[in-house]
Amino acid sequence: MTPAPPPGSSRTAGTEAWRPRARRAMTWSSLAGLLFALAGAAVVWTWRDELPAQVASHWSGSTPDGFMAPTTLAVVGVVAAVGLCALFAAIGITQGAAAATRRITAAGCVWSGAFMATITVTTLAPQRGLVDAAQAELSGAALLATFLLPLVPAAIAAALVPGDPAMPATEAVPDDAPRAALRDGERAVWLRRATGGPGIAVGAAAVALTTLAAALTAEWTMLVVPAALAALFVTMFAFTVRVDAAGLTVRSAARWPGTHVPADEVVRASVTQVRPMRDYGGWGWRTARDGRVGVVLRSGEALLVERTGGRSFAVTVDGAADAAALLNAMADRSRRH
Amino acid sequence: MWRIDPTTDEPLYAQLVAQVRLGVAHGALRPGERLPSARELAASLDLNMHTVLRAYQVLRDDGTVELRRGRGAVVSAAAPDLTDVERAVADLAAAARRAGLSTQTTTTLVTEAMNR
Repeated sequence: MTPAPPPGSSRTAGTEAWRPRARRAMTWSSLAGLLFALAGAAVVWTWRDELPAQVASHWSGSTPDGFMAPTTLAVVGVVAAVGLCALFAAIGITQGAAAATRRITAAGCVWSGAFMATITVTTLAPQRGLVDAAQAELSGAALLATFLLPLVPAAIAAALVPGDPAMPATEAVPDDAPRAALRDGERAVWLRRATGGPGIAVGAAAVALTTLAAALTAEWTMLVVPAALAALFVTMFAFTVRVDAAGLTVRSAARWPGTHVPADEVVRASVTQVRPMRDYGGWGWRTARDGRVGVVLRSGEALLVERTGGRSFAVTVDGAADAAALLNAMADRSRRH
Repeated sequence: MWRIDPTTDEPLYAQLVAQVRLGVAHGALRPGERLPSARELAASLDLNMHTVLRAYQVLRDDGTVELRRGRGAVVSAAAPDLTDVERAVADLAAAARRAGLSTQTTTTLVTEAMNR
């Protein structure tokens, strides 16, 4: 439970305002995930008379090598979905200060249920009417469906999570924050491309390896994996960073994803040193502990924006000191209305 | 960083032109580097897009940038080396200050010399 903020502390109230939103998002997305998992189990239930007593549950290559009762398989699917979903919901409830974090975890909850339901149904569908489950075959189309179908409700869930409401800062930017010298009425913009780091090399290697794997196994539907990886890396290896009167805008070179921090929600901008693994658990668009969000492409210099509502956003970019100084100056201006 | 001060007499497009030339002269903009799209720059600086395009055309005409279809304005590989000019201007500014000349008078002298 959220401790009550001390009286008169508007700042504490503001930094805790996300908690009801996080609980709401995690509640409905967990319910949706659970419903998907139960629907999968229900489908298996309607097939109970057509399935062999022991169904194939695991394949090595195209030969089944693991068997269990269909009800056990269905129960395992539901339990796994509940476990995965609980993990996502716990992250969302405790760390969902930023809308981006709540979106990802809500999508994770729904995906967990949908994935377990899909994998259970696609595993058992071809085994209906079989006497001996050892003859069960696994089609490439079924694998493809297992990977792709659950992404649809997950994407819908992410889109349904409402964004953060406007939270203009109530206090001035601290005096010791660096500021760009701007004359009254002068307009300014700072633009830079954020690139670098191991992203391109890792992406190329991953795409090459998964393509090779698909080619060696002649399982051509599995080419969807390198295709999906390529799409992911294209959106993640270069970003444009813009600071202007509107605030900070960071957008992938592929146009999506992107984010915007309005100038009036900037508490303070500064330069920081980022270690991708230790601080954000990896590279790319990251959400880390405490609701920190980062576009982390390399280690080293980054622009760090502390934002209202206890949120923060960082992007690794050269010349971050100039960007921070201009953003602080623009944040000052936004307070003067 | 790009700046525009609408309160000065200098035309807005000329302020952009001056910043690109200075950026090239100081090495902040390197040959091959892409300038922001006219649309993006115009939106951020609250300018008409034609103002930015006019600045880019002036820069193309003097060889500072190349305008390529689909790639926008790219700093030309043949960007002029302004090191000598920068040094001479610094000397000129120092000499003008010693002589007690105003910025305006000094600029007039430079304009006169350029038209000779």
